[in-house]
Amino acid sequence: MNRLLQLSTQHSALSTRLRRHWPAIVLFGIAALAPTFVRDAYLLDTLVLILLWGALAGAWNVAGGYAGQVSLGHAAFFGLGAYAAAVTAIHWELSAWLAMPLGAALATLVGLLIGYLSNRLRGPYFALATIGLSQVLLIVASRWRELTRGGEGIPIPFRPGFENLAFATKQPWVYLAVLFAVLVYAVAVYLESSRFGYQLAGVREDENAAEALGIDSRRLKVIAIAVSAFLTSILGTVWAQYVGFVDPNYVFSFDLSIKFALMTIIGGIATGIGPFLGALLITLLEAYLRASFSGGPAGQSGIYLVIYGVALMLVVRFLPRGLVLELADRFRWRRRARRAEAQEGEQVAAGTH
Amino acid sequence: MLLELTSVSKRFGGLTALRDVDLQVDENELVGIIGPNGAGKTTLFNVISGFYRPDGGAIRFDGQDISGHPAHAIARLGLCRTFQLVKPFGNLSVLQNVTIGALNRERRVERARTVAEEIIERCRLGPFRDVPGKSLPIGLRKRLEVARALATQPRLLLLDEVMSGLNPTELHEMLDLIRELHAGGLALLVIEHIMAVIMPLSQRVVVLHHGEKLAEGPPAAVAADRRVIDAYLGEEFAVAEA
Repeated sequence: MNRLLQLSTQHSALSTRLRRHWPAIVLFGIAALAPTFVRDAYLLDTLVLILLWGALAGAWNVAGGYAGQVSLGHAAFFGLGAYAAAVTAIHWELSAWLAMPLGAALATLVGLLIGYLSNRLRGPYFALATIGLSQVLLIVASRWRELTRGGEGIPIPFRPGFENLAFATKQPWVYLAVLFAVLVYAVAVYLESSRFGYQLAGVREDENAAEALGIDSRRLKVIAIAVSAFLTSILGTVWAQYVGFVDPNYVFSFDLSIKFALMTIIGGIATGIGPFLGALLITLLEAYLRASFSGGPAGQSGIYLVIYGVALMLVVRFLPRGLVLELADRFRWRRRARRAEAQEGEQVAAGTH
Repeated sequence: MLLELTSVSKRFGGLTALRDVDLQVDENELVGIIGPNGAGKTTLFNVISGFYRPDGGAIRFDGQDISGHPAHAIARLGLCRTFQLVKPFGNLSVLQNVTIGALNRERRVERARTVAEEIIERCRLGPFRDVPGKSLPIGLRKRLEVARALATQPRLLLLDEVMSGLNPTELHEMLDLIRELHAGGLALLVIEHIMAVIMPLSQRVVVLHHGEKLAEGPPAAVAADRRVIDAYLGEEFAVAEA
């Protein structure tokens, strides 16, 4: 009997947990099933990019959202991962699976450095320092021609096969992207439910109050930034393998750093699913704008950036906490209103009203 | 002796905020700290709790030298302070606020939440457990500040003006809570401005003036001390015998 009771409480705990994560389950579920009924390569390509950008935004979110350390230089970590794949492939014909931990180790080291900076510099000063870092790496990648071939970039030799993390069709890429997306989402879930995550939330809210409660705020921030750098680099490697070309002016660009931050802020900062919703929205918007405005006069090619900016302003003005929290609130509010209505109905029916 | 300060000093540039302050708090003792604005009361708390590094002197907690240790390490030893300008985690619920405090001693979040719920009830914050910290009025924020500190399960609690700005009802609830904690075996060091509150509450009172200890002793003796009257009280303060 006792055992039965235990089982049933376990079951209910599990079901509330499932209920909390239904948007992720729906999103990743649909993505994982997509290759079975979608054959269109363009659609699958868009799906892979949404998942990868979502995962990258989610990786940014670990530092920028959960730890409250807003970085505008995360392209640095992304570029390290991308270059790890490209450089080791052209010089030593290394598998991307081996390049991945290499890039991640390097990015983690740089992440520790940035983490150390976060304990010295606050807010805008920290953000500026991260921009500086990505710019330094951009210059190194553009100038160190023997290693990186400089500004012309590196086409990654295409050697299809799982062992090289390269595939001739889109299907395996979808599965892989779902896998990485789930991994990043799991990190977010950990940050929302673990001791580390709770304490980090305290640090984000008020460092002094956190210190007074026995929390080593500096250590926690450094760990969060290093984890964020680690994940970003891994995804940089995956992205490079998927796209097949590494261009320093893209992978280390300020635009890219902004993109990670933007997708997270639009979707919902410090939420698990937010970065993925942001990535979904931005990637679709970008694809649509590029399709509609490319081929026009040369002066219009950057128009999508303008619309990007407007979209951000609208979100910050009307959905300041991001899509996820605002939508969740509205949803909850409507449900509550409906429940109240139903209750009132019952009362009227029972003649107590 | 639970807490022992020997000739602790703190300077900010040319300004001496604390000069050779000696202070002791015994296990389960309730000591009040009074003094005019700028006397160095909050600086003293910042030095004890590790937010400022003392420029001289030694601080021992439970026999261990803690001078210059980081704040979080001191909190982990069981010395927790509240802030005069309360610092609730604004976007987190009361329950989350207190749970984060409880994680000082508990490894598991579920355990910490249980501890937090107990403390929330004890501090009469039950009806507000799901309200975000920033939505609470000042009286409740002060109570949250105390609840969160309590959740760290300290041996010595430093309260920095947790009773100022409260209405009479809230004030009495806070007083009851402090008495209850003291009766439960906790040692407390309490900064307070309101004489009518701190005098009957404390077993011993320390008066700070211009960063120096002006007087120390039982409330009645301190209130009758000529130097204290001149420097701070302005007129004789009659301690009501409880």
